[in-house]
Amino acid sequence: MKSNKNMFILTEAVLAVLVIITAAAMFLGRSTHGRGRVAVIVRNSDESRWAAFKYGLRMAAQDKEIELFVVSMGEDLTAEEEEKAIEREIANGADAVIVQPAPGKDTGKMLKKMRKKIPVLLVEYPASGEETAEDIPTVQPDNYALGQALAKELLKDYNEKVEGKTMGIISEYGASAASLERKRGVTSVLKDMGVKAVWEVSDLSGEDGNTVLERKSKVDFVIALDDYSLVMSGKAAAAKNLHGALVYGIGNSMEAIYCLDTDYARCLVVPDDFDMGYQSLAETAESFGFIFKKPKNRIVSFTVMRKQDLFSKENQEILFTMSQ
Amino acid sequence: MKKLNLTKKYLKYITDIKPRGMQSTIMMVFSSISVAVLLILGIMMYLRVSASSREEMIRSTEKLMEQAGENMEDYLVSMRQISDAVYYNVIKENDFSDKDNDIQQGMKRVYEANKSNIRSIAIYNDYGSLMGAEPVILQKEDPNVTRQAWYEQARAEMENMHFSTPHIQNLFDDAFRYYWVISLSRGVELTDGGVPQTGVLLVDMDYSSISRMMNQINAKNSGQYYYLCDGNGEIIYHTRQMQINNGIYSEDSKKAAVCKDGVYDEFFQGERRKIIVNTISYTGWKLVGVIPYSVFTHDMFDIRYFIVLLILLMAMMLGVVNRVVSVRISSPILKLNNSVLEYEAGKKPDIYIGGSMEIRHLGDSIQRSYERIDMLMHKIVLEQTERRKSELDALQSQINPHFLYNALDSITWMIEGEKNDEAVFMISQLAKLFRISLSKGRTVITIGEEIQHAQSYMNIQKIRYKNRFSFVVDVDQAVYSCCTVKLILQPILENAINYGVGSMDEDEGGEVKVTGKEQDGEIILSVADNGLGMSEEEASYLLTDGNRIHKQGSGVGLVNVNNRIQLFFGKEYGLQVDSEPDEGTVISIRFPSIVYTEENRKRLEEGRLLGGDTPVDKEGRDEKQ
Repeated sequence: MKSNKNMFILTEAVLAVLVIITAAAMFLGRSTHGRGRVAVIVRNSDESRWAAFKYGLRMAAQDKEIELFVVSMGEDLTAEEEEKAIEREIANGADAVIVQPAPGKDTGKMLKKMRKKIPVLLVEYPASGEETAEDIPTVQPDNYALGQALAKELLKDYNEKVEGKTMGIISEYGASAASLERKRGVTSVLKDMGVKAVWEVSDLSGEDGNTVLERKSKVDFVIALDDYSLVMSGKAAAAKNLHGALVYGIGNSMEAIYCLDTDYARCLVVPDDFDMGYQSLAETAESFGFIFKKPKNRIVSFTVMRKQDLFSKENQEILFTMSQ
Repeated sequence: MKKLNLTKKYLKYITDIKPRGMQSTIMMVFSSISVAVLLILGIMMYLRVSASSREEMIRSTEKLMEQAGENMEDYLVSMRQISDAVYYNVIKENDFSDKDNDIQQGMKRVYEANKSNIRSIAIYNDYGSLMGAEPVILQKEDPNVTRQAWYEQARAEMENMHFSTPHIQNLFDDAFRYYWVISLSRGVELTDGGVPQTGVLLVDMDYSSISRMMNQINAKNSGQYYYLCDGNGEIIYHTRQMQINNGIYSEDSKKAAVCKDGVYDEFFQGERRKIIVNTISYTGWKLVGVIPYSVFTHDMFDIRYFIVLLILLMAMMLGVVNRVVSVRISSPILKLNNSVLEYEAGKKPDIYIGGSMEIRHLGDSIQRSYERIDMLMHKIVLEQTERRKSELDALQSQINPHFLYNALDSITWMIEGEKNDEAVFMISQLAKLFRISLSKGRTVITIGEEIQHAQSYMNIQKIRYKNRFSFVVDVDQAVYSCCTVKLILQPILENAINYGVGSMDEDEGGEVKVTGKEQDGEIILSVADNGLGMSEEEASYLLTDGNRIHKQGSGVGLVNVNNRIQLFFGKEYGLQVDSEPDEGTVISIRFPSIVYTEENRKRLEEGRLLGGDTPVDKEGRDEKQ
């Protein structure tokens, strides 16, 4: 009799617990919105060169149900500013940050410190400096291969007969890991071909590229290692300030495409920034909720564009991402 | 074989189930039925709700797509109307060489009226040369118009209008700006300098108008989505267009493109989904709605939890109801059972009479049965006591005639031999003997009286046997005041004389000795003689067969004495015979040491021992032993 009563009380208690668990699960299920918030910090984030990257981020955020916030940053981004921006985003509730490392040797150390607080993923290139934490995952194009591809296209145009030709190399931030790698890629292909690098512009920040290039001596071709320098070179060519030099460059904006379309640039190597954006957010999202799953390094592809195939079906897909 | 063993194993579990209490059985049955009914109801409710929710979702999707399709058709019709207006009102009415300005004005009017939806209007001749365009923008140096798809299509089928897939407008130089357009092209007849010729009219529709429409219906990010493709399955709009281009995602647009309008089930990349196809008139475009089955499940999330919650609450409620019902049903039966159990345990409770009519009747019947059983038991006890008493009386009545015969015979002999003093002594001894024998009707007397009785008896016998043997009494004074059943020594003494010392000569020194002592709470009275003795076999018959050794004695034998001892004191007490041929015989009487009081005497005579046990109980216990 007593055991019956105990069994009855036990059964009712178990059912009551199940009711509470079910009700809690129902309300918790309703209140779940997405899986996290990711902040993205890149230099000149409002520039058109980030259009494809941001489109990739948006698409990944939609697929992975992540709340995305792209921080509006200025042109001159330093390690301290970047640190402040990350701190601010952490305070605003970011669960992870995607960062384009600021130029400078302190960036690696700073990012390593930040990574102890929040998952950090780098884009475009790894952080520089001796303190660079090699284990900070990076989604980037193969910058060395980009440089090599550009130089090979140049050689192709000249049937590799470039003996005695001169070139100028231009980059917005020559000290950045991306520029250094791209330059290394270019020179590795051209070093035994007799091409002479006459001048090099490695810092266009805060300067009028047109004027800078106008002051430079005449060369046969200008190698632009990033989008900004490519557009500057194209504009200089349009203004006939480039002394007839042919522009070969790496770029990923509609301005760069326009330069190619209007023959102010001869060849354009376009890194797949859509993929960089998509993969970076997808990698970050995958690590949410999984302690042992860390984002991995990813290499995104690139495309070589020429004017004659600029509007091919494949290239239009890339242009689509840039125009979003 | 394994299956068979498994079945046997499960069957064993079932057969091993032991009977449970009535309340738990009722509770278990009610609960099992309740749980089964709840589960069936829950599952049916879930299936019904999910089916209707699914149907509703498909219906609303179809409705939405129908609406979106109509909007898109309206939009495309308006585009065709723009094309018609430019063609019939502007191109056909004017000559390009004469009234170039009129054509431009006409195109401008149309463009201005629709510029929110269109990017440009342009007319090209047979050679791909621009004849006119609005808005007026610088044409690219070499747009290679004749090799562009829209131009080729228009030239191939002059009579139709052609809608292209989205592409970048590659015609005009708008300084760093590129536009995504859908081209509506048609072959036209134009007049230039009075010479009729063919050309192509191009209306570039702003892709953002289409994508805006599609974005509106895709606004709800719940896994369900809509895309647009042309008749060849080329995607015009998709929420994951770039993911598809990059191979991250894929879409079965080719299959949808060949489907007629309707709802289809498909299994695509490991996922079941519903496909709803709606054809956009004239263009052959397909507006496709995709509802993965996971969306149905996701939408059922709350319903599922709600149903589980409902089942759990109902289970709780039914548990309480079942408990109340089972208690109400089983409580009277349990009370009845408890009172019966108490009765069986030896208590004398009132049998529970309550609950429903049937249970009351049952209780009443049991009560009456027990009362009857009690009555019968009492009757049996009385009958048993009477029987024992009558047996005892019979035994005693067996003694008296024998002894009387022997004594009177001796007295007769004495009187005949004129031995008057001896006869007087004999008669006085006989009187004592009978006084004790009568004992006012008591059957339990003191050991002292019994010894006195034995002494009288032996005095009589000694006279009869002419003192050929001696009689010695050696009994502890302490036992004189204890209880004994009367006349137990006399038959033993009689046997001692008859089979022991009776036949001995005077000079042989025959002796009968009575000893008595208390040992371990028991009284042991012994009658020893130094007569002929007997073999072990003969000795064993003494207590088992009362009719066997009655050649010379009274015929009563030791068996009667033994029975009487056991009737009064229990089976564990009685006589013990030790005998050796030519050595003599010792017969020991063993019974419990009970001080003689009036109360103890009555208890023993009533058949109850001093411990409070009834004679019936005593016999029962003995039987078990």
